[in-house]
Amino acid sequence: MDPECSRLLPALCAVLVDPRQPVADDTCLEKLLDWFKTVTEAGPSLLLLQENPCLVELLFRVLKAHDPHPRVLSFSLRLAGLFAAQEDCFQYLQQGELLPMLFGEAGPLGGAAWTAPTVRSGWLQGLRSLAQHPSALLFLADCGAVDTIFSLQGDSSLFVASAAGQLLVHILALAMQSPAEGHPSPQGCDWPACAQKIVCHVEDSLHSTATPQVTQALNVLTTTFGHCHGPWTQGLWVRLSPLVACLLEKDPIPASHSLMDLLLSVARSPVGSSDCGLWETLAQTLSHLSPIQAGPLALGILKLQDCPQALKTQAFGVLLQPLACVLKAAAQSPGPPGFPEGATGDSMTVDTFLSSKSACVGLLCQALAHLELLQLLPQRPSPWPQAPLLRAAVAILRFCNGSAAPTSDVGGHLCAVLAGCVRVQRAALDFLGTLSQGTGPQELVTQVFAVLLEYLTSPDSSPTVQVLKKAFQATLRWLLGSPKAPSCCDLDPHTQLFLRELLPVLRKRLCSPCWEARDSGLEFLTQVTRHWGGQAAFRHALLASEVPELTRQLLRDPESYVRASAVTATGQLSSWGLYTTPTSPEHPEVQQESLFTELLHILSTDSEGFPRRAVMQVFTQWLKDGHADVAEDLEQFVARVLQVASRDLDWEVRAQGLELALVFLEQLLGHPGSRCPYAVALPEAAAPATLAQVLQALCRVQLFEFALRALFDCDRPVAQKSCDLLLFLRAKATPCGGPQEAGASPDVVSVEAALQRWQAGEQGQPLGELEPEAVMAVLRSMDLEGLRGTLAKSSDHIEKSPQSLLQDLLASVGVLGENEADCY
Amino acid sequence: MPEIRVTPLGAAEAGSTSHPPSCSGAGQDVGRSCILVSIGGKNVMLDCGMHMGFSDDRRFPDFSYITRNGRLTDFLDCVIISHFHLDHCGALPYFSEMVGYDGPIYMTQPTQAICPILLEDYRKIAVDKKGEANFFTSQMIKDCMKKVVAVHLHQTVQVDDELEIKAYYAGHVLGAAMFQIKVGSESVVYTGDYNMTPDRHLGAAWIDKCRPNLLITESTYATTIRDSKRCRERDFLKKVHETVERGGKVLIPVFALGRAQELCILLETFWERMDLKAPIYFSTGLTEKANHYYKLFIPWTNQKIRKTFVQRNMFEFKHIKAFDRAFADSPGPMVVFATPGMLHAGQSLQIFRKWAGSERNMVIMPGYCVQGTVGHKILSGQRKLEMEGRQVLEVKMQVEYMSFSAHADAKGIMQLVGQAEPENVLLVHGEAKKMEFLKQKIEQEFRVSCYMPANGETVTLSTSPSIPVGISLGLLKREMAQGLLPDAKKPRLLHGTLIMKDSNFRLVSSEQALKELGLSEHQLRFTCRVHLHDTRKEQETALRVYSHLKSVLKDHCVQHLPDGSVTVESILIQAAAHSEDPSTKVLLVSWTYQDEELGSYLTSLLKKGLPQAS
Repeated sequence: MDPECSRLLPALCAVLVDPRQPVADDTCLEKLLDWFKTVTEAGPSLLLLQENPCLVELLFRVLKAHDPHPRVLSFSLRLAGLFAAQEDCFQYLQQGELLPMLFGEAGPLGGAAWTAPTVRSGWLQGLRSLAQHPSALLFLADCGAVDTIFSLQGDSSLFVASAAGQLLVHILALAMQSPAEGHPSPQGCDWPACAQKIVCHVEDSLHSTATPQVTQALNVLTTTFGHCHGPWTQGLWVRLSPLVACLLEKDPIPASHSLMDLLLSVARSPVGSSDCGLWETLAQTLSHLSPIQAGPLALGILKLQDCPQALKTQAFGVLLQPLACVLKAAAQSPGPPGFPEGATGDSMTVDTFLSSKSACVGLLCQALAHLELLQLLPQRPSPWPQAPLLRAAVAILRFCNGSAAPTSDVGGHLCAVLAGCVRVQRAALDFLGTLSQGTGPQELVTQVFAVLLEYLTSPDSSPTVQVLKKAFQATLRWLLGSPKAPSCCDLDPHTQLFLRELLPVLRKRLCSPCWEARDSGLEFLTQVTRHWGGQAAFRHALLASEVPELTRQLLRDPESYVRASAVTATGQLSSWGLYTTPTSPEHPEVQQESLFTELLHILSTDSEGFPRRAVMQVFTQWLKDGHADVAEDLEQFVARVLQVASRDLDWEVRAQGLELALVFLEQLLGHPGSRCPYAVALPEAAAPATLAQVLQALCRVQLFEFALRALFDCDRPVAQKSCDLLLFLRAKATPCGGPQEAGASPDVVSVEAALQRWQAGEQGQPLGELEPEAVMAVLRSMDLEGLRGTLAKSSDHIEKSPQSLLQDLLASVGVLGENEADCY
Repeated sequence: MPEIRVTPLGAAEAGSTSHPPSCSGAGQDVGRSCILVSIGGKNVMLDCGMHMGFSDDRRFPDFSYITRNGRLTDFLDCVIISHFHLDHCGALPYFSEMVGYDGPIYMTQPTQAICPILLEDYRKIAVDKKGEANFFTSQMIKDCMKKVVAVHLHQTVQVDDELEIKAYYAGHVLGAAMFQIKVGSESVVYTGDYNMTPDRHLGAAWIDKCRPNLLITESTYATTIRDSKRCRERDFLKKVHETVERGGKVLIPVFALGRAQELCILLETFWERMDLKAPIYFSTGLTEKANHYYKLFIPWTNQKIRKTFVQRNMFEFKHIKAFDRAFADSPGPMVVFATPGMLHAGQSLQIFRKWAGSERNMVIMPGYCVQGTVGHKILSGQRKLEMEGRQVLEVKMQVEYMSFSAHADAKGIMQLVGQAEPENVLLVHGEAKKMEFLKQKIEQEFRVSCYMPANGETVTLSTSPSIPVGISLGLLKREMAQGLLPDAKKPRLLHGTLIMKDSNFRLVSSEQALKELGLSEHQLRFTCRVHLHDTRKEQETALRVYSHLKSVLKDHCVQHLPDGSVTVESILIQAAAHSEDPSTKVLLVSWTYQDEELGSYLTSLLKKGLPQAS
């Protein structure tokens, strides 16, 4: 421990036990424990206690206190647990009988403080830390702690109850691992007493008629099989599986969710692979549960690495049932083959659909979400019924927007229930988007595009922008996944046709009064252009539409998010030559300003950060891609952008300015490779003559002044980026000697003086014209590595240090308590 | 029995699955707000706040406790955000974009507009300070905001067919709202943070007499009666003025929005009145946007601002200019509002370091600072601060703390309870001991139950939902025909058949019910055997029964039918011979359900035997 901290500890301990000086900030004790945890993990706790007797004294005094503050008591319990985690320290504390006083019946357990959940929580956490060695097990048995933990499983606080369950699992695992016990037999007759006790308790709970108790037992077992993989878990399952099976025979099945979790947890553990009965139990459970309950179990089974094919088929059938029902309900006439056998829309699912609107919506959303997840997994069922799933998704969307014409009763019911249901629409659009990974017959794909277009067009999608956004996302996925024409250089005719219908819709959405709709439209445009900017058909359709012009107009949108998206979109359009500078209608001969000028204007004047940051990203991309506007006069481009970015109030814009500067440098000097300037030799360093020219260029664009100022920026990421950039530059320039040493020329002196001013936080005058030699001399003389090390730390690392924490705790006693509420 | 369940999820506690547990004030703390409410089968999350005092995962509530089963989006019906402060909305992008909640989020329009500014502000500080990678991005904030459905005051919003919400004005900050959540006849009101007294730019909270089953109220100032804000304002202006007069500089660290605007109005008006020339700067570059929103949402401000709006918008500041970093070095007096508010990074900290050395300068902290910040250090009286490279910064400038927070005090809380007339009250967002005091006061004064659960503790309230039942006119008329006019003070028993059709309940006559439901009537008769010692023939026994009943039941219609049976109203009595004992007769007494009482009476009467023939 740091000597300064050691010096402050006695005073702090005194403060903690003083009831007249309540600890003000409730996070402080938590941070203090974090620190003690680090200290005890790093070295022997016994030594710590011996060198700092105030700590043990603190524990004694808290115990003796008449009415200790619950927070302090909880802190003490947790602290004692941290110390007692090491066996020698545990013995040391035992000598003073401190542990029984803290954790035994004589302790807070019987006192008034026990009513505070934070104390019960501290008690459990203290024991959790302490239970690390065989002596701890004996102690737990002696002080009767396990019985208390049993009762805390049903605590009124979710947090306490959950911690109690986890602690039981931890103790069970510790008891079973204890070397003193040798290798316990799987049957359990020679299991350690502590483990026997816990298992018996679990057995009793499983027998119970009270559902909460059954749930607790199931949760303990779920955690056990999830975390413990010793051979004894096999024996545990052999012993308990009949009881679990009994639960399945009850009607209704108690704690069905927890039961499913347990079965899946066992199936995932090594125990599962050796127990054939488990698959049977899972199959039985699947058929016993209601459709809505069975869904998560079915998904869990399908996620298992190895389980019998028959069970997988059954599980897949469960997930498909709701969609099978939908298909059946939507069918006009006996259609093409549907889902695999077993998923035919059983009566139970139909009953759920008909029972109530919320049950119907809940079941459909769950099925769609599960199938969406499943589709992405490598172990998804094969063959994957892509075509019927597509049909079902389209049918659901049609039920939701009222365009379906059902002929059956169930269909009519679905129509009524799903009409305008946003939840189902969102889930179905997500699912439909995921299905774009597979293919389908053209007739179906046409239907998909048709329904997507309906959603993009529908005015009903506007007030619920989430639906519109998801429709855009799904459309994008289908568009990008659609096949190329046989000539393979352009889009297939169906997609081209769809595009022609889509662009007017997009145009309409870009004019929407709702900013969310405009923004989603622009995001969509950016993505499509990124992928298809080179496709002739897309280019042709886009240029023929008013979309590019509208996008330009949105650069002046009142909503900053939209302006930022418009900047990104125009940047992307321009990269593909899809952004033509319009001419003024009155004076066609007068060209309006270039996009570069316009974006630069946004960068200089926009009152908000998002559009300015978007501009910087576009410029950096342009520089990387060698955009025509940039290539025209590279130096001028960089100079103008850096000049504006350096003045920006938003540090992210300044940081992006440095990013752009780095790209510029890389283009002049070659790629930095690993980005670590001193990692390897730099054989590619530029030759001196070239280097001199490069440095001249850097001076001309005033990159040095920008980077050197940024080095002392009040925002750490800016300084960090600048430091990296300068280190890269110095490393590139140094191996070849670079320009001649400039010595203490007047230039160097003035740069150094400026640096000192900037470091002191003054802004001062610009540097003006710089000589490359002077800059390089300054760079060589600077301790950039040291600065980099400093910047790598959090800007508040001093305030966050343990020493600072102790000082704050001592200083704030009685000062801040009353003000806490004013935080917000 | 239907019930309402409420679980504050604020602080992370023991057993937390995703991060180390905390021992913080267990529910009764002012750290962060996040409350789960289950009402009428619907699950709603109220607020989604973060704790500024932590810089790891503990700053967010542990959402793994919301449900163990299934997806959050399926479990939660909606999320409601009361206002834009980070302890109420700071975890929202994390929840929606990283944890994966994809359902609807409701808040008022100003909250929707301002929330992203504060979230962005905080994100930048988090990234700026520590380069935290596992933090939500700007894109996530935007995506989260696109999921928001904005609600207007007093507008009933239908979340789905059963769940509806309604917002009420809460004062506190621009756009703050209280929300009524209603499912059928059950309702809960959540106040968020509120203020019952108007301040310089906002009005007082108000709610109608909605009589919810439960009122969940904040209790930050559970035991405090706050002094007038005017005094604090005077004090603030005096201190700023004195410092500027002696040529000093005043630094006011603030968060981008909220208190900053209130103080700006205060200084602007004072500068105008006193004709002061010292410049006032606002450093964040966010002023414009912030002020833009205050202008845009004028209807949410107080009456005075709304009234004067036509002549002059209070948020068009004449004296307050945008700050440039170079200004900090300018000589002479000035006042600077700089972010962030706790002096933990960025510009406010940089200016503080520059100005701290001069006793002529002053820093005014208008809010509390969490531990681990320079703001916390100076507020706790530390004057020698360790800086980078073992340097020590001696703080000679004056350090002042002035509270401008706008929470309801004890009086205000009582006033709101009185206004809403809830059946139960639940206190959150306060300190345990103070809450206990207020709880007793509420229970005494309003005679309602008051709860104060710790974080993670669930309060369950049984409710008796009132289900409206319509009574058919025919049934009422029939009842009237029996005499006795209805009297509100004398409840009367009314027999009828309750039918549920199209989710409506109606009480109708049994005949009408049969007709409406297309059912035919079945009669259920109860039969009892009574053994009588009587050697005479069955017909004579029956006659004796008739005579006996005729003499006893003077008010009833007793008849002797030609087939030998006896009837009393609907009750039928027949005499038969005993199969084994000829000296015993068996009386079969049968009655319908409607005459159950009379049937039982007759049975007991006959069991006593018949009077001897004279």
